[in-house]
Amino acid sequence: MVNVLLQNLKWLNVLLLAVSASLVGCNAAIDIDKALEGHLKGPAKIYRHSLAGAPSSLDPVNAATVYANNIVVNIYDTLYRYKYLARPYEIVPNLAVAMPEVSDDGLIYTIKIKKGVFYADDPAFPSGKGREVIAEDLIYSIKRHFDVTNRSQGSWLWDGKIVGIKEWKDVGSHYSQTIEGLKALDSHTIQITLLAPYPQLIHTFAQGFSAIVPHEAIDHYGREFSVHPVGSGPFKMLRYESSNYALMIRNIKYRQEPIDLEFEGYDPKLHKQYGIDKISGKSPPLVDALKIDFIKETASRWASFNKANEINFTGVPVEQVDQILSQKRPKIILTPEMDEKYHMSHNIEAGFVHTDFNMRDPLIGYNDDPVRDKRNKLLRCAIRSAFNWQERNDVFYSGIGIIYPGIIPPVVPEFDPQLSNSSTLRNVDEAKRLMLEGGWTSDNVPTLVYGGVASVGTRQMYEQFRGWMKDIGFPEEKVSFDSYASFGDFNKSVKEAKIMIIGMGWGLDYPDAQNTLQLFYGPYGSPGSNNSNYNNLEYNRLYEQTSVMQPSSERTTLYREMNNMVIDECVSMTGISRDRILLWHKNVVSYADIQIVGGFHLKFVDMLDEEDK
Amino acid sequence: METLQYTLRKLVTGIPLILGVTLISFTLMVHFGPDKTYDLLGKNPTQEQITEVRHQLGYDKSFVVRYTQYLKELATMNFGYSDSSGEKVSSILIRTMPVSLALILPGFVLGNLFGVILALIAAYHRGHWIDKIIMGVSVMGMSVSFLIVIIAFQVIFSSSQGLDLFPVRGWDVYSFTDYIHYVTVPTLASIFVSLGYNTRFYRAVIVEEMGRDHVRTAKAFGAHPIELLFKSVLKNSLIPIITRIMFSIPLVVISGSLLLESYFGIPGVGKVTYDAILSGDQPILKAVVGLTAIMFVFTLIINDILYKVVDPRISLK
Amino acid sequence: MSTVLDTSTVERVEDKVGESMWSKAAYKFRRDRTGMMGLSVVAFYMLIALGVALGLWGTEWSDNNGQKWEGISSQYWFGTNILGQDIFERAIFSTKTAFEVGLVVAVISTLIGAILGALSGFFSNTWIDEIILWVMGVLDSIPFYLFVAAIAFALSGFSYSMHVAMIATFWTTTSRLVRGEVIKLKNFEFVEAARAVGVPQHIIIFRHILPNTFHILLVQSTIVFVGAIKSEVILSFLGLGVKDGVSWGLMIAESTLEVQAGEFANFYAASALLFILVMAFNMFSDALQDALDPKKVSA
Repeated sequence: MVNVLLQNLKWLNVLLLAVSASLVGCNAAIDIDKALEGHLKGPAKIYRHSLAGAPSSLDPVNAATVYANNIVVNIYDTLYRYKYLARPYEIVPNLAVAMPEVSDDGLIYTIKIKKGVFYADDPAFPSGKGREVIAEDLIYSIKRHFDVTNRSQGSWLWDGKIVGIKEWKDVGSHYSQTIEGLKALDSHTIQITLLAPYPQLIHTFAQGFSAIVPHEAIDHYGREFSVHPVGSGPFKMLRYESSNYALMIRNIKYRQEPIDLEFEGYDPKLHKQYGIDKISGKSPPLVDALKIDFIKETASRWASFNKANEINFTGVPVEQVDQILSQKRPKIILTPEMDEKYHMSHNIEAGFVHTDFNMRDPLIGYNDDPVRDKRNKLLRCAIRSAFNWQERNDVFYSGIGIIYPGIIPPVVPEFDPQLSNSSTLRNVDEAKRLMLEGGWTSDNVPTLVYGGVASVGTRQMYEQFRGWMKDIGFPEEKVSFDSYASFGDFNKSVKEAKIMIIGMGWGLDYPDAQNTLQLFYGPYGSPGSNNSNYNNLEYNRLYEQTSVMQPSSERTTLYREMNNMVIDECVSMTGISRDRILLWHKNVVSYADIQIVGGFHLKFVDMLDEEDK
Repeated sequence: METLQYTLRKLVTGIPLILGVTLISFTLMVHFGPDKTYDLLGKNPTQEQITEVRHQLGYDKSFVVRYTQYLKELATMNFGYSDSSGEKVSSILIRTMPVSLALILPGFVLGNLFGVILALIAAYHRGHWIDKIIMGVSVMGMSVSFLIVIIAFQVIFSSSQGLDLFPVRGWDVYSFTDYIHYVTVPTLASIFVSLGYNTRFYRAVIVEEMGRDHVRTAKAFGAHPIELLFKSVLKNSLIPIITRIMFSIPLVVISGSLLLESYFGIPGVGKVTYDAILSGDQPILKAVVGLTAIMFVFTLIINDILYKVVDPRISLK
Repeated sequence: MSTVLDTSTVERVEDKVGESMWSKAAYKFRRDRTGMMGLSVVAFYMLIALGVALGLWGTEWSDNNGQKWEGISSQYWFGTNILGQDIFERAIFSTKTAFEVGLVVAVISTLIGAILGALSGFFSNTWIDEIILWVMGVLDSIPFYLFVAAIAFALSGFSYSMHVAMIATFWTTTSRLVRGEVIKLKNFEFVEAARAVGVPQHIIIFRHILPNTFHILLVQSTIVFVGAIKSEVILSFLGLGVKDGVSWGLMIAESTLEVQAGEFANFYAASALLFILVMAFNMFSDALQDALDPKKVSA
């Protein structure tokens, strides 16, 4: 009887061997060189990029994260893009021939697109050959946002802005029907009619959301279009494993447009050190293959970067910063040995980190009782005075983030460097005075509930916050942590206005302070993006007034007025714009940017040949 | 014929188990699970958009309708598309399961193999200092947390502060050498943690077997120790050993590698499932939980049948 | 009247059997040096935990007064962490957390395991047994971490969701062992006698049979205790663990980033304390098994 069993065991062994052999077999099949074989001639230039997170979907209508955006703008074309090297960011035509012609009232935009641009070859097309990109494709791509079955995350960019979209949606989103304000004048001209002036419109056409897709791909792949992108961008997807990596190869049909460094904002003082001059006159994309690894764990990403043959690029994890820098201020300088090995740039984040009070919570925000309402404001101001931005910067952002008052971050042109920074300074005496004024004692203060994802970082931020609150008289048990197992759950609670104190980051969609001011616009309260649920009628009025204004000093003045309101009412503890240090290997020619330019820089990345090094 | 009937009967009794597992996990993971609505919405959504997304996700349907729908999906093995990436659930599983298997298999096999070998040595020298050392070390091994082992091994073997021999993370496996390269550290870690438990378990089994009369007799007649161990002892200890191994399989394949996969950034099914839990990707969760339950029930049945084949005394009722 | 008399005689007989087994075990256990060593270490930890619970020490675990990553000093015995918190204080405080988790999970899961196991064994091959076996089978078939994560979500916000999840999975082993033992016991004379004189079933189960499985429950609860504190570490790393206060798991989770920056204090402190306690508990548990298992021949 045991023999029977042993025989079975033998079979098991054979089975296991077969399984492992087949595994090795199929793994061999995705050998990177083999994968590239037949697609490229000669030895391939491969650039291995890394991102700190993974996109969830590559369908442009869902390109809501920077990670998705990075890939989408490389596979697809957008009408506009940002200059590679110019700072502050400058928007320039991409698929569009020129900047749009705008009517005098600012309502009609006419945009011509380039002729002879083709989609990459894909089985989705009849005969497998990519056809030419036409004006109708853009219209189709925008329409997709208003087809509810697509669950668009970008429809807010155009919702209520373009004539006829609402009507189109209301009668059931039939693609054969036309939208009045979204027309193709001919095969290469688009005309957009707006309901009201929308100065940020052009920026929306530099985002992944507006990427131009061929309807054939959606017809062919259906739901799985989100993992089978087909576009006319500089790269073509070869292999995509969601939450793992994306391997793209050069789109051989990509239009020839030699690089004009002057135009891209080349400044020898800044860019020569990176060898950028070498790419002048070449036509992007400059590498044969682009591999992007999605690596969430900072430690792993760092270690992987430090090996010559793994990833070529990384953002430096906070815990490593002290070890690689020889100086932080006034200028960030690498240690000599790091400098020898790597190129470095650093980006002030296009966005900011802020900690909001939920104004809908009567314990800390608006209260029907006018006396309590006033006391709550004093309490909020006291908490803000006890908040120690310097310490937060030192512990969590390597001490290199930029602390500034209010909600207009340094990266936008409307930033006011003269604004008093008193709201960002820790002042325990002032905080205690405010507590006293409001009649708050350790016995009658409400329990502060700090919400966040149950990650190490958030927990530590909470513990730090608790320490500061203890300094102004909060007992330990009156500062509690409401932890959520996932960001989704946390976000849901935020959107349902259930969390009292909310730490959040905001990444700008475009370099205009309007994008951060909307975070405090009353009608955008939960479930909108106004997490603080701040609702000030005067502020709301100014927001509406400025939203149709072209950039001007008048608009800037109004922006700053709104900024002061948020500061005065102690709605938010704010803020810091993180400074991120980016490193890449010396054999990579790049000027990395993980902010507004985002994925647009990848087509300009080149790899040095052996002899160039 | 008898065996076939027996198998069929067992299969039928497996159905309540599958129903139970799916019901409990459906209730916990799907009904009470994370809500994906706001993940899928854009900025400043309208009430209408919220309702639409909830409708598409099926959140507006009743529990019974959704559970029945799930059972239907399970029966037809058609789990639809991931709520996050839009990829077919089946293609995700087909892609990630082999990775998990390839990751866990060497550690699992070697962990059990070394366990049996050490157990044989310990049992043979029962009471001797060799036995004591092996058992002492086993207890020590059992007392170290898996997480600590993983952290320590990554620092020691992979990081640039340590020996720097293996990759820190990832699974860029294109050839057998790559495979060895990536699988070594996770394998060492899983052997380290499982060895203590395995050795103790197998030693207990073998000690009991060695106490039996025929073994004693053979020993008394001066049978060769190795031959004795392998021929008499090991052969007859196989049932509990195989049972243990078999029962670990379904759980090992799905969740056993969760910690390894998330720490070493390996795109296996454990990580996919865990991400799905965190993001509330219900189609993936439903598939994984359902398949685990089915695998478990099959293991139970195969185990019973093997028992029956090995030992006819076990009644067929 | 006579019934009452009869039961008491039955009980007395049992008591004698029990006593001799327990006194033998105690004697055997006292002679086991590793077991005694384990027990004293566990007792020492328990003392520390008790002191924390009473507020005698470990009270400064949440203060962040120090500098980031201070070294070892007379003020900070194990240095400080990234927030300038005293690692020694936190490690000590975590002892209480560990015992809290271990005790809650061990006691409740043993209780549930004992009761359901006894019922299932006593009514073996009836529908009660079938249902309990089915529940156990179902719970055992769900991968542990998935199950815990799912419970953490379902009970989101509840600070004991981790405990609930562990209890829900750990009781089944105890229950199976008790079931087996009860099936054996219920055919013993003293049970038959009690049944013959008409003692109600629940009294037979809980007064006559269950106390005789106490040695299994004791050993099993030590095993569950160890399992619970080890699982806590991993669950806290995954963000599903302890919600209030601090634990070794949270400290190790914190240390995963610090280790990369070359700061090992958090990692060493938490893993050393955890290792010693688990090791001691394992030794204690082994000795207990040796002492209580009548079949086991001493090595």
